[in-house]
Amino acid sequence: MPPSLPDFSNSVRLKYVKLGYQYLVNHILTLTLLPIMAAIFVEVLSMGPEGMLNLWRSLQFDLVQILCCSFLIIFIATFYFMSKPRSIFLVDYACFKPPITCRVPFATFMEHSRLILKDKPKSVEFQMRILERSGLGEETCLPPAIHYIPPTPNMEAARGEAELVIFSAMDSLFEKTGLKPKDIDILIVNCSLFSPTPSLSAMVINKYKLRSNIKSFNLSGMGCSAGLISIDLARDLLQVHPNSNAVIVSTEIITPNYYQGNERAMLLPNCLFRMGGAAILLTNRRSERRRAKYRLVHVVRTHKGADDKAFRCVFEEEDKEGKVGISLSKDLMAIAGEALKSNITTIGPLVLPASEQLLFLLTLIGRKIFNPKWKPYIPDFRQAFEHFCIHAGGRAVIDELQKNLQLSAEHVEASRMTLHRFGNTSSSSLWYELSYIEAKGRMKKGDRVWQIAFGSGFKCNSAVWKCNRTIKTPINGPWADCIDRYPVHIPEVVKL
Amino acid sequence: MAENEIMYVCKRTVVSTKPVQPGKHHPLSVLDRHMEKNHLRVVCYYKGPRGQEEAGEITKRLRESLSEVLTHFPIMTGRLIQNDKGHWMIKCNDAGVRMVEARAKGNVEDWLGSVDRGRELMLVHWEDMYYKPYFWSTFYVQVTEFEEGGLAIGLSCIHLLADPTCATMFIKAWADTTLPRKMLAPPFFDPLPPRRPGNTIPNHKPYTALIDHYNFSLHNSNPSTVAKHTTITLSFSDHMVQACMDMTQSSTATPNKPSPSPFEALAGLFWVCISKVKSLRNGLLNMSICLDARKVLGLHKAFFGNCMIYNKVHSDGLEEHKLSQAARAIGEVVAKMDSEGIMDLIEWLEQNESPISPLMNSCDLICSNLEVVDIHSSEFIEKLRPIQVSYYVESVFGIGQVLIFPAPPGEGPLGRVAMVTLPEDEVIKLCEDELLLQFSPTILMGVNRTHA
Repeated sequence: MPPSLPDFSNSVRLKYVKLGYQYLVNHILTLTLLPIMAAIFVEVLSMGPEGMLNLWRSLQFDLVQILCCSFLIIFIATFYFMSKPRSIFLVDYACFKPPITCRVPFATFMEHSRLILKDKPKSVEFQMRILERSGLGEETCLPPAIHYIPPTPNMEAARGEAELVIFSAMDSLFEKTGLKPKDIDILIVNCSLFSPTPSLSAMVINKYKLRSNIKSFNLSGMGCSAGLISIDLARDLLQVHPNSNAVIVSTEIITPNYYQGNERAMLLPNCLFRMGGAAILLTNRRSERRRAKYRLVHVVRTHKGADDKAFRCVFEEEDKEGKVGISLSKDLMAIAGEALKSNITTIGPLVLPASEQLLFLLTLIGRKIFNPKWKPYIPDFRQAFEHFCIHAGGRAVIDELQKNLQLSAEHVEASRMTLHRFGNTSSSSLWYELSYIEAKGRMKKGDRVWQIAFGSGFKCNSAVWKCNRTIKTPINGPWADCIDRYPVHIPEVVKL
Repeated sequence: MAENEIMYVCKRTVVSTKPVQPGKHHPLSVLDRHMEKNHLRVVCYYKGPRGQEEAGEITKRLRESLSEVLTHFPIMTGRLIQNDKGHWMIKCNDAGVRMVEARAKGNVEDWLGSVDRGRELMLVHWEDMYYKPYFWSTFYVQVTEFEEGGLAIGLSCIHLLADPTCATMFIKAWADTTLPRKMLAPPFFDPLPPRRPGNTIPNHKPYTALIDHYNFSLHNSNPSTVAKHTTITLSFSDHMVQACMDMTQSSTATPNKPSPSPFEALAGLFWVCISKVKSLRNGLLNMSICLDARKVLGLHKAFFGNCMIYNKVHSDGLEEHKLSQAARAIGEVVAKMDSEGIMDLIEWLEQNESPISPLMNSCDLICSNLEVVDIHSSEFIEKLRPIQVSYYVESVFGIGQVLIFPAPPGEGPLGRVAMVTLPEDEVIKLCEDELLLQFSPTILMGVNRTHA
């Protein structure tokens, strides 16, 4: 017999053992309740109807007791329903589809880089190597001001880009949801690096003539995880304000942040960040619960800013020549891993099934008491979620998370393909990834989605959504014209 | 003053809407490689639609349609690299073409009333090849909007990739894409066809004149940079061209000879007039003609690449100032440039490639027939045809150059426009030449003495 067969049958046996264990632990309540109910049923049967009647008469209730009991029950029920947090629904969202004339192929990017950094060939080489291994495709888009030779990143161009991205996404959202501008009660705009006065949220209010008693917020400086921070803020606000709609606009304006110096650590964002934006409609109205796409289950935020290294890991500063850029430190991946672990520790108990939690607990106890050399048990998050949206910060981030969470290629496909087609669009990349999953027809009712985003600070934020209704293809979104070409194989290194 | 008239808004790179499949290369034919040292410039003027659009709107539309049309021309968005034989070829790497946007004061009609070579060339952006041509765009497009109405579109490219016929084809395709019209003729990028083996006629006497001419040019390209050239544009109306053709026929001995074509007549006219201007005592100047050989070689009209062949017209035995004889000599040379002769030439060139490409227009007066270009049907805006078109084949180092192409259709089927490049003092004398003035050409672009 070839040696592979025993291994195969071993692994099959192991699989069944695992399945049996999971089923046992996850349904322990049901499994313990069933025998008890069966026993009572048998007991009742054996007693017969006369025995039941006798038992009933012997209880001797009187009116006062009955009234008190019923009031107590009503009181507890009301208290329970009043203090239950309102369900937050995501009615729909719209992603900005950049115009195809803003496309930047690798060759054009490198040419511009060479023309601008004429006397710094080493920096150009560096950018080329980054681009080759970046995982980006040839259809990512940069705003028009960056296409000029030399680029003209002035404030007017930045406002122009903001208007283009935000208004397109909002128009698309209004069309998809049938929302009227007057019905928006809460508006949150997050854009990390561009923060003019009046704010971008004021710009939206001005354009769409929103109500004067709107609650508007503008979050800036919070990095790529600001999208989930906005969701968290909207959720808290929707607990306080009943029957309200909240619109969240997540974007990153690239124009003013094109680094024009030649410090290597600061050239990296130029190669990866691309134009993109998304507009999301959240509501707590019960009337929307039929047509809403998702329900928000959890938002978990973890901030590692207390640690100095984490704080300085993504830092905006001036280089030696006085040019402003965002410097990424070398231990970015390590810090991201730490932040992720912290986040997982918090989110694990909220989402993992009992079987995984038990195993984790046992391994933890074992490591502390018996043998510290035991490998830490990494809970299998695939049992908690059907879909994963990992912020497409770069190929390294996705690779790292895939390894840490032991995800398969299909789980990270949405993230990789979004990075390929749209580049790193910062806070809105999660929504492009969600749109990819929907466009592929993989989103079914009851599916749980985990969105993870990292950001400067250093933050790791997660959101958990549950799909409310099966989403039918084709959907009209940013992937409409190219979803059939995906997934593509992305080579390790693209030869430039 | 001219510097204030044109304000450059920006320069950017325009890429195609669909990515090019990576790894594609396009080889250049031997005729292409011969033209490496020259570059082409085309300017088209359009009247503006009366005050309907804001400044910059037309430019934006043109930019978007340029992106779309570039999808069909992957060669234009590629870059030059050298293959293992040291020859130039195009790597289709999707890098895009450079586009310059500009604004000009006044309106287009006023501009045309007082334009000269220096000012016209400001409407067409061009950059000479960089030391490392891998980052150098081979095509440049400039769109200049006139503030009070009108549009000028300029296209420049290295002659290595395109001749005037295919530059015009590109402009037409771009115009078709801007109007929501389907592009009528997608370009062909196939290499020049090799001689079909079955066609070799036994005892075939090769037409060696072509080969001799190219051979001579290869060894004698010494550009003279002494004289400063200027260019003027002369327009000949339909019946004037007819009169010219009649004059060339009037004193022929053989009445059965077919009448000369407009090109032959006008080329003969310029040959005679320019020879007079250069005060030659004995006979006529050395002249070469340049023809588009697509039809002769049986290539598709939409063949993209160089297909213009030069040939020398011999002036021995011709009396000076005799227009009819000059035209007849040209006609004979044109007739002899047949498919066999050109195929011989191509084969010879392939076998005898020199590492240094010659300047084809460095010794003789060159007279190019651009009659195949159909520039006047390029409408960027509905029902607006170009009101004037200019072609330049730079750089002109030798005696001079004459480009002859059709006039706008309003002038009649025989109307022609000639762009003459000569040293400045000779141009002035040419404009006063009696024979030329007999055909009352309209000077569309003259010599402006205030600009050096």
